[in-house]
Amino acid sequence: MATDTTVAPPGAPAGAPRAGRRPALRRDGRYASVFLAPSLAGLALFTLFPTAMALGISLFDWPVFGERSFLGFGNYSHLLHDPVFRRVVLNTVLFVVLYVPLNVVVSLGLAVWLGPQIKGRQVFRVLFFIPVMTPMVANVMVWRLLFQPGGLIDGGLQSWFGIDAPNFLGSSNWAMPAIVAMSIWQGFGYNFLVFSAAIDQVPQSQLESAQIDGAGPLQRFRYITWPMITPSMFFATTLTLITSFQVFAQPFILTQGGPGVATQTIVMYVYNQGWQFLQMGLASAAGWVLFVIIMGITAVQFVGQKRWVNYDV
Amino acid sequence: MKASPARTRRWVTAALSVLALTAVAACGGNNGSSGSSSGSADKADLTWSFWVAGSEDQAAWQKVADQAHTDHTGITVKLQGAPWDSYWSKIGTTLAGGKAPCIIGMQSLRMASYASAMLPLDDLMKKYGMKAEDFDKPIMDGLKADGKQIAIPYDSGPMVIFYNKDMFKAAGVPDPKPGWTMDEFKAAAKKLTAAGKTGLVTTPGDLGTMSWIRTMTGAEPLADGKLNFTDSKFEQGFSQYADFVKTDKIAPQVPGGNPDFETQQFTGGKAAMQLNGPWSLIDTKGKVKFDLGIAPIPAGPDGSKTYTAGSGFGISRSCKTPDAAFQAIMSMTSVKPLTTLAEAGRAYPSRTVAHPAWFTAAGIDGAKETIDYASENSIPLVTSKNWVQVADLLNRFGTQALNGEIPPDQALKTIQDQAGAGS
Repeated sequence: MATDTTVAPPGAPAGAPRAGRRPALRRDGRYASVFLAPSLAGLALFTLFPTAMALGISLFDWPVFGERSFLGFGNYSHLLHDPVFRRVVLNTVLFVVLYVPLNVVVSLGLAVWLGPQIKGRQVFRVLFFIPVMTPMVANVMVWRLLFQPGGLIDGGLQSWFGIDAPNFLGSSNWAMPAIVAMSIWQGFGYNFLVFSAAIDQVPQSQLESAQIDGAGPLQRFRYITWPMITPSMFFATTLTLITSFQVFAQPFILTQGGPGVATQTIVMYVYNQGWQFLQMGLASAAGWVLFVIIMGITAVQFVGQKRWVNYDV
Repeated sequence: MKASPARTRRWVTAALSVLALTAVAACGGNNGSSGSSSGSADKADLTWSFWVAGSEDQAAWQKVADQAHTDHTGITVKLQGAPWDSYWSKIGTTLAGGKAPCIIGMQSLRMASYASAMLPLDDLMKKYGMKAEDFDKPIMDGLKADGKQIAIPYDSGPMVIFYNKDMFKAAGVPDPKPGWTMDEFKAAAKKLTAAGKTGLVTTPGDLGTMSWIRTMTGAEPLADGKLNFTDSKFEQGFSQYADFVKTDKIAPQVPGGNPDFETQQFTGGKAAMQLNGPWSLIDTKGKVKFDLGIAPIPAGPDGSKTYTAGSGFGISRSCKTPDAAFQAIMSMTSVKPLTTLAEAGRAYPSRTVAHPAWFTAAGIDGAKETIDYASENSIPLVTSKNWVQVADLLNRFGTQALNGEIPPDQALKTIQDQAGAGS
């Protein structure tokens, strides 16, 4: 874009190149604004405006039908004192705490295991990625048939060993682990691909010379592979954390948040309050609570990355 | 004065904000003249919002809509179908926004939540000579809010027991007859519970649970329009219902949040009985590989008592041609389309005249005797405005109560605390 005009004329005084560059930069800026305008307008219209609107609505008692009234922080205080919402936040955190590390361990483990030396790894890559691509609803329906009383697991255990399986989706203790297990099966393929690609970028020559110098597989991973894949790790953990805070489909279809509120998550709570019980104010307030939690944790991650992410390679 | 980069940025931001706001205003300003209707009492293009399961369903219901055009050449009704779950969230926002289609599909259990956005039909019924007596009384009452008729029903049905005749025969249990008692039912269910199969299958679904409680103790979910879950009779009934799973073990443990569990267990031949509505009968008969029978709900101390539910069509308050919409609804709920629906086995019709066609299509011995008996002993399940929330809470905490994780009365207290008075 018009880069030639930024070159200072020969023999110009010391200050001239800067003076010459500034109008051009402005022009670049203007062009950039024009090109960015459509997506900025989209962002404003479909993200910023609704977010701000939700903040406004969250300050009202806003039923879908009937009178609206201003509550101030009434909805937030209701959420704070509602034992169900507190449990819902706890469930969401529990899901994140169980799901994110397990997802990273499984996907990284498989990516390391299926290293460049393995034959037929492309086939495995496709197989592992299939659950990510198939519709979530279909996946969850199949898992429901596995989990329910008289289902595949229960039926199998009964006919082979004569014992009953736990009522995975009907028991408060088992429902969350069942959802986490299903989610990991469904979701690890994405991070697996990210890690696989990162591991492929590690130069073979370095690994080989380390091996000649006597470094074992663990040492090679710790001192060569790991530092080189930390940017991918950062990317994967940040995104996984954000999406797992927004978990909805799995508990919604597997257990509808039950039994009791054992598996209800924040997004499910927002959906129920807003679209099922038609209480938009409370739903918006809960949505904002989630927004703040995610923003906070993502900010902490970005601050913390300096300690462990290595961009120098 | 030259513009600095910062100033340019400010200008660009301002310009984009204006652009965005204009776009928002443009979207907001489109207040639905494209919406649902135009025209007069005999001439209008109407839109009808209704839940449909798929394209085949859509075509079948569009035929019902076409009856309006057959009867009144100036009126056309276009069906706007949506799947059951998304239907309710969609209809809620369009009704609230005052841009809803003229004709709205409405279910009796959910009506209390939406009634304030619907037009009462009593005056129109009088004006066009529609007689309430031609319809089943429980469902006409079930589609009333504060004594006003909100929708005209196309189907109805009292809850009845579906049972597996083959399993009954194999276990040497006689077929149930109208008037059978709770003791006879339990004895039969115990005999049928063996070898990984159960006599009954239950879930904490609202209609089923309420029907069992009503027949066992006569308790009702609302008293004077307020939620009544902590009433001792209601607690007693719910506790007895939970016992089917918890202590009697004549029904399997309940998985959380699977509304199809009952039907899956029953049609799969794993449970001998389930409580269901006639609207599912012909569909169930097509699915099962055994001889299907139906019986009324067992009689408690005060006889066999059950609830009726059903659905119909109403008019949104925002409709500009309520007269034309009402004439369309009259056509859509007239004898001809209801008979056609009955013959296709879709719904147990709300009109008494169309019943014979449905019984012929069902082809089940004793069906008429059973449903007539159940209808006589049924009342509509009148619900609170926040019934969707109540039903959701019942599913959650009811599962725990049935599976024996928490005491039934504690589950009911939690529901009552969470849902409040229910208004």
